[in-house]
Order: sequence, then C-alpha cells, then structure tokens
Amino acid sequence: MSKILRGYAFTIAGIAVGVAGIVALGAMAERIVRFIDGGDRFVLGQISVAGRGMGMGAGFTAGGMLPAASIRAIAEVPGVQGVQAQVMLPLNPSTSQFMTLTQELILGVDLSVPTPNRHYPALPVSEGRNLKAGDRRVVAVGASFAASHGLRIGDRLPLEGEPFEVVGVLQRTMTAPDRFVVMPIEDARQQWIAKDRLLRTVIASGVAAINAADLNTGAAVGWRDGEDPDAVAHRIAERVAGVNVQIPSELSRLLRSSTAFFSALLVGIGALAFVIGGLSLANTVAAAVFERIRDFGVKRALGATDLQLGGEVLGEALAVTLTGGLVGVALAIGLGTAVDGWAARTGQQLFLFSARLLTGALVFSVLLGAAAAVYATLRVVRLSPAEAIRRGA
Amino acid sequence: MLEARGLVKSYRAPAGAPIRALDGVDLTVAAGRLAVVLGASGSGKSTLLNVVGLLEDADAGEVRMAGERVSGRGRASATRARGRYVGFVFQSFLLLPSLTALDNVLLADRYARRRRAEARRRAHELLAQFGVAERASHYPAQLSGGEQQRVAFCRAVLNDPPLLLADEPTGNLDDANGRVILDALRARARAGAAVIVVSHRADAVGGADAVYRMEHGRLESGPPSPGGGPS
Repeated sequence: MSKILRGYAFTIAGIAVGVAGIVALGAMAERIVRFIDGGDRFVLGQISVAGRGMGMGAGFTAGGMLPAASIRAIAEVPGVQGVQAQVMLPLNPSTSQFMTLTQELILGVDLSVPTPNRHYPALPVSEGRNLKAGDRRVVAVGASFAASHGLRIGDRLPLEGEPFEVVGVLQRTMTAPDRFVVMPIEDARQQWIAKDRLLRTVIASGVAAINAADLNTGAAVGWRDGEDPDAVAHRIAERVAGVNVQIPSELSRLLRSSTAFFSALLVGIGALAFVIGGLSLANTVAAAVFERIRDFGVKRALGATDLQLGGEVLGEALAVTLTGGLVGVALAIGLGTAVDGWAARTGQQLFLFSARLLTGALVFSVLLGAAAAVYATLRVVRLSPAEAIRRGA
Repeated sequence: MLEARGLVKSYRAPAGAPIRALDGVDLTVAAGRLAVVLGASGSGKSTLLNVVGLLEDADAGEVRMAGERVSGRGRASATRARGRYVGFVFQSFLLLPSLTALDNVLLADRYARRRRAEARRRAHELLAQFGVAERASHYPAQLSGGEQQRVAFCRAVLNDPPLLLADEPTGNLDDANGRVILDALRARARAGAAVIVVSHRADAVGGADAVYRMEHGRLESGPPSPGGGPS
C-alpha cells in the first residue's frame, strides 16, 4: 500500500488541498451555525420576561425594571414552574446596547432558585466551579471573556471599583454566554446602581420606594411539563401588568430572521466549498487514472479482466482519496487552530471542526473520488490494450 | 498453435483515406516454431502482432489459438485467451515504473491466479537465469535498457505461454543484449512455444523456422531482401 501511495504523492497533495478547502470553509460555516443554533436553543428553553419600558437591561432582558411584586405575580400564573430573577447589564455602558450578539455582558442570577431554562439548567464550567447559593463577590466568566481578558481561576476582576474573584470559566458554547460575566444577583444589582447615574439619583431622592429585590431587569420563567410555552407566555402577558413577555417561538423566529443573512452566507460558503473542492478532487483523481493509462494497457495485455482492473483502480482511488482526505483534514485543522490561536487573543473563534463536518468531508471526498475513478476507469477499459498502450506512450 | 486467416485492419487517418494496416493477412505458426516477420516502419507488422495477440480487434478475419476461435468474441473472451495463451515482449519493455523488477515479473501471475509461492519461486529462477537476480528489488528507472528487457522477457514467460509474441524485442538494445533476448526467444521455441518475432533487424532471422516480409499490410513468405535489411 505504501508503494501505491508513494506513486500518488502529487495526487494525494492535490486532493488534500481540495479537502482542506472544503473543511476550512465548512468549519467557518459550522461556527456560524453553532452560534445561531445556540441562541435559538437558549430562547426556546425559557420564557423571558422584562419590565415594560426602557432601562439599563440588555440582551433578552432589555426593557424596564421588573419589580419583586411582578416576579411574584408571574410565579402565580397557571402553568408557570419556576421564576428566576435576573439582572443583565452591559459590562461597558458605552457600548451600544443593541450589539447583544457580541457584547460583553454581566448576568446576575438569583442563586436561591434553580435556573428554569430547560436547555441550559446550568451553564457548564470547563475550569473551577459554577456559582452557588450564598456566593458573593465571585464570578464565573465565559470562555471568550476569559481568553480576551487573560483570566484564570483565582484571578481578580475589578468591576466598578470592586474586586471579583474568578471561581469558574464556562465551557465554550460558541454563543452569547462565551462573553458573559455571571455573578450573584445581589452583586449585579450593586453593579447596576454603580453604572446608572439616573437610578442612583432616583433611589437617593426617595421619589420611588425601591427595595433591592426590585432591581431586576428581567426574569427567566419555566413551564410545567405538558404545558405549551407559547400559551404560558401569553397567559403571563394577560395576567401580569407592566411586563414585556417574549413568546419563545416568536423570539426564535425573530432570531432566525435576523440571522437570515448569516444563513444565506453559510449556504453560499458551503456550496462554494463543495463545488471548488469537489471539482478539484474529482479532476485530480480522474487525471491520476488517465495518467496511468499505459499501465492499464499493459495489465490488460497480461490478462487483467475489466473487473480486476476496475477493482484495482477503485481500490487505489479509495486509498488515495482517503489518504488525501485525512491529510486535507489535518491541514485544515492545523491552519484553523493556528488562526484561532491568533484570534483567541481577542476572544474570537473562527472555526468549528465538528465531528459531523469532518466525517462528512471524508465521506464526500471518498465517494467523489470513487465516482471519478469509476468514470475514468469505464473510459479506460473501453479502449483496447493496444490503444491504451499507444495513448500512454 | 496460432492460425490467423484473412486479417484486415484499417486506421482512420486524421485527413484523407483510411490506412489499411493489414490487408488480408494469413499466418500459421505451429507449436515449437519460430516465425520472424521483417518489415519497415509502418508496414503493419506491429498491428499484425497486436491483432493476433488480441490486443486489438481486426476489422475482418479470424484468429485461432490451439484450435479455438478466440477473435470476435468480445472483450472478456479476448482477455481470457490472452491470459491463457499469450506472452508479450515489447520494444519499449513496458515495465510498470512503480513496481520493482520482481513485482513486474509477478504481475503476469497476478491475473493468472496461479499459486503465489510457486510463481514467486519461478520468477526468482527466471531473473537468475537472465542475470538480473541481484536487481530484483530495483525499480525500472534504476535498470539499464538491457536489464529492463530481460525483466520484461521474464514477465512474458512466467506463465509458460504457448504463444510468445515479440515486437521489435531488440529495437532499444545494444548488440550483446539483443543477442541475449534473441537466444532466449529461440530457446522458448525449442521448448515448445510458438514464437513470432517482428523486427527490422536481419539478425533476428537466425534460427527462424519461417521468415515473412510485411509490406503495405500484406504478408509475403520468403527470405529477407538482399543486404539483410527489410524489404
């Protein structure tokens, strides 16, 4: 086998370049898919409720203040199971609040109640631990946030003049939580007051009776088993005054439509990768077969049947395309890892080499290589041995 | 062993009328006989060898081997007959560059489905007999022209084919190597094979049982023209 592969070194190199192109472009597409799917999965796992109006809240809790009374009222709505008060703020208030997909956010969660999101009951940590009830002045940070800020377990993160100990780094999700700073809601409320001059003024003036428990930008709401989440969301909107309720399916649709451009881009990238890489691969394999036309003529002169010759060519083509495919995958992963290593300094990741992508690329290359070899072989075996020897001379 | 009757073969020319390479050729070569066909380039002698060796089909006529009609019966039948009856020695050796000398010789066995160990033993014997045993693990590019032709000859006779066809077997060799190959071809005839050699070299005639001249696609029986060259 090594002898065969040695004779096909340039063919393997050609296939490897084609497959590397497919895998690299596919990995970028996978990265975008994961980002969109992750957001979709999150919004479909909970009902997000925010206070009506404008406020400091960002992301899915954007809106006005959601007081404690409203949270209690939501919990009383039939079909609701679990309400977790949350505070979500931009880490840097000068950043546009609309850039929620890439913005660094503080997420304060009420650790005394379980997180009701069905798809993310807890954000998994890759290092350290998750937050627990009773924690104060500690944070768990997203993977991209940790990378871009150079944070490790035990490091101190100063926020509005207060030092926070990093106790956990979240697993990379390729979605918004990669840029989160998750902290106990009590600490997040203090961050809110520190960031929002208007809020400080209102509290100091005593114009409105605001308790600490009222300082919520939103809540994550769960539903009982068997309940339709959209129906529960509509029920909350009807029965609780002064709230903005995001209907899960509507939010999912909104997210999908807002990312339609990325989806179209993704389809274009995928199609381009398959056409360019596929053509390169098929052409390389077919050319390799035609280059050996004289050898096939000699073999037929020695008594090789169509079946024996076809089997040999197909076997060699499969070995060559599989080897080229594996080299191409390794090449793409090597390049992608190097680029991602550079991009990680700013908390970015451009490639996602998923198992389905790598398997798909290998299967695609082997099938296409085999098809090209079959096509070339059918043309070769039609020639008489004398003609094959003449053409290959 | 070989009986060819009324062979006709034409090629399409890029422009003009078709070229008739074989024009009603009859040829019979019995087992144990060496026939030499002399002719100038383009006379049709290589086409004759290709057609009687079933490397390409004739437009008309028939080929029989050991009394069995083997022409005009389709690709699979021709392949079977080639594997069973015919060994080829080509002017340009046609060794596979990716295989060693030994593997090139064994290639003849790959499609004949003989016992591998037996074929291997025989291949080593042949390589030793032709003085290239020590080159068994070398690739064709590492061999001289004479060595390549000797390896190609070993491949041609590995399966002891009853019909051996040699197309200008000494065309690319010096005199010494040419003599080795011609002697080997004569020895195969003495051993019982029907051997046909096409050549432009008069020295190929030595020891021949029959000599033919090929001219404009027609085969004439007779000695070479005066001067020893092809007519």
